[in-house]
Amino acid sequence: MLPSFDILGFLVSWGTFLGIYAILAISLNLEVGLTGMANFGKVAFYGIGAYLAASLSVYTVLAVYHVAAAPYTTEGIIALGKYGGANPALDLGIFAASLVLGFIIAGCVGYLLTYPTLRVGPAFLGITLLAFGELLRIFLLNYQPLGASKGLSGIPHPFLWIPDPVLRERLYVLVVLGFLAITLWFAERITNSPFGRVLKAVRDDEVAALCMGKHVPRVKATVLFIGSGMAGIAGVLLAFYMSSVNPNMFVPAVTFNIWAMVILGGMGNNKGAVVGAAIITFVDRILTFITPNLGITIITPDYIRWMIVGILIVLVLMFMPGGLVPEKPIKTPAWEAVEDLEKEPARGGDEA
Amino acid sequence: MTKPILEVKDLARYFGGVKALDGVTLEVPERGVIGLIGPNGSGKTTLFNVVTGFYVPTRGEVWYAGERIDGLNPNEVFLKGLVRTFQIPRLFPSLTVLENVLLTPPRQVGEKILVAPFRSRWEKQEKELARKAVALLKKFGLGDYVRAKVSELSAAHMKMIETIRGLITDAKVYLLDEPAAGVAYTTARELFTFIRRLRDEEGLTFFIIEHRLEVLMDFVDYVYVLHNGKLLSEGKPDEVMNDPKVIEAYIGR
Repeated sequence: MLPSFDILGFLVSWGTFLGIYAILAISLNLEVGLTGMANFGKVAFYGIGAYLAASLSVYTVLAVYHVAAAPYTTEGIIALGKYGGANPALDLGIFAASLVLGFIIAGCVGYLLTYPTLRVGPAFLGITLLAFGELLRIFLLNYQPLGASKGLSGIPHPFLWIPDPVLRERLYVLVVLGFLAITLWFAERITNSPFGRVLKAVRDDEVAALCMGKHVPRVKATVLFIGSGMAGIAGVLLAFYMSSVNPNMFVPAVTFNIWAMVILGGMGNNKGAVVGAAIITFVDRILTFITPNLGITIITPDYIRWMIVGILIVLVLMFMPGGLVPEKPIKTPAWEAVEDLEKEPARGGDEA
Repeated sequence: MTKPILEVKDLARYFGGVKALDGVTLEVPERGVIGLIGPNGSGKTTLFNVVTGFYVPTRGEVWYAGERIDGLNPNEVFLKGLVRTFQIPRLFPSLTVLENVLLTPPRQVGEKILVAPFRSRWEKQEKELARKAVALLKKFGLGDYVRAKVSELSAAHMKMIETIRGLITDAKVYLLDEPAAGVAYTTARELFTFIRRLRDEEGLTFFIIEHRLEVLMDFVDYVYVLHNGKLLSEGKPDEVMNDPKVIEAYIGR
């Protein structure tokens, strides 16, 4: 994996992380950039997706092959290695089921968590979610069926039945980028719609939006459902890529890394979120590739990376306060109708 | 006076020991332009907040078009047909004037999250609403501001747009909180002329809190006076202005 410098290998690795983090950044942008809900607990929903994928896959494989050992024991890990790529249909089926369940469960948790906090200010929501993320991590650290501090490993890659690991990774990056494309398409479409208009209205002035007949708590809960569901998908994609998960992958710093992406790229712009994710994951990957002893885990304390990210944010905020790709006005067919009206010859009657 | 469209019966709202509103009964007739005056702290804005669902009343009832509406949420009150504006105009600064108007119509298909990504499902409605909004803005001389950002508008225009936002829906009753605050005398008179025009042409009903009596009194049909959470006086503008109780409440002993 680490020759002098394997450009294609680098691109595949960067593309995978870019895809996963861009999905997270888009989801955070929907919540923070468009609706004005400070989500400081993004990592929790990412973690829920990852742990759901991990537990669903390892327990299913062990059950299908009648292995009595628990997945976190040595026997269990050996059995997972033995049976992992044996049945393509099983691997792909687990992958698909994890994506669907990851979206639904992370989304529902987000929806439920916001219920008690929606009627109070944004700071309360942020702190509640931050605390939830930490509680979840500490729970995972101590919950034996999910591997406690060691986490779960031997998660069968969906393409494990393909013998060539390089081809496997290349196929996987396409899947990840495919999910990014769907997420971006969806986010762009809802931003430029009457729904997006309501989101910006809620962000600008919640009370006024309420006075204009908008059900603000429902709007916010909907956005948190969608945003958390997207983060769940990103977590599922991460778990299958890394083939193992452990609680220390889901520290609060991950949340702030995603915030950095959104701030860098431009609050309120989905494409900006992707640009921000691309830059930060690029810095991260390049450092990983040029310092091989850092290993593959992105969570290793990497001070150079944090410094670079910090400097980038300061520079961008100094010279481009709106981010690299600033927010754009909403584009709906209303403007086409306005243009058509302007083209028509004036029929008189208005005072200009 | 015609039949009342908005009725408030023995309405009270206490905040701890403070009786902000203490048993007020009044009615607003359909197509009326009714004033609500009183010294600072007399309960005018509290009355508006209770009527529009921001506060649940401690006691009493609110009836709108034969339906009891106290206890509803502000968004539900709006959907019944009551529009409320604030002392400081609360438009949405990151939206254009057109979008501010387009935001209000209820039951827009494209506001549903699962429909929003599919433009063809809501495009027709959106264009129709846009044409309606532009026509309304033009009708009231704001045709040049369709694409303007809210921050580019004068205070008077912001206040007009707050009212026009309601016109695109079928809202019938407008509760305006100090429409003339912070604008010049002549502009204030223009605003009230605009309000009278809406009443005459669109058949709307207005219930207006106002401190600038010299403007208000020339334009309203009837005035209610609040003092310490209670109704102090009511009547035609000149009756109220000559009521010794009102003069005393305003000027003090």
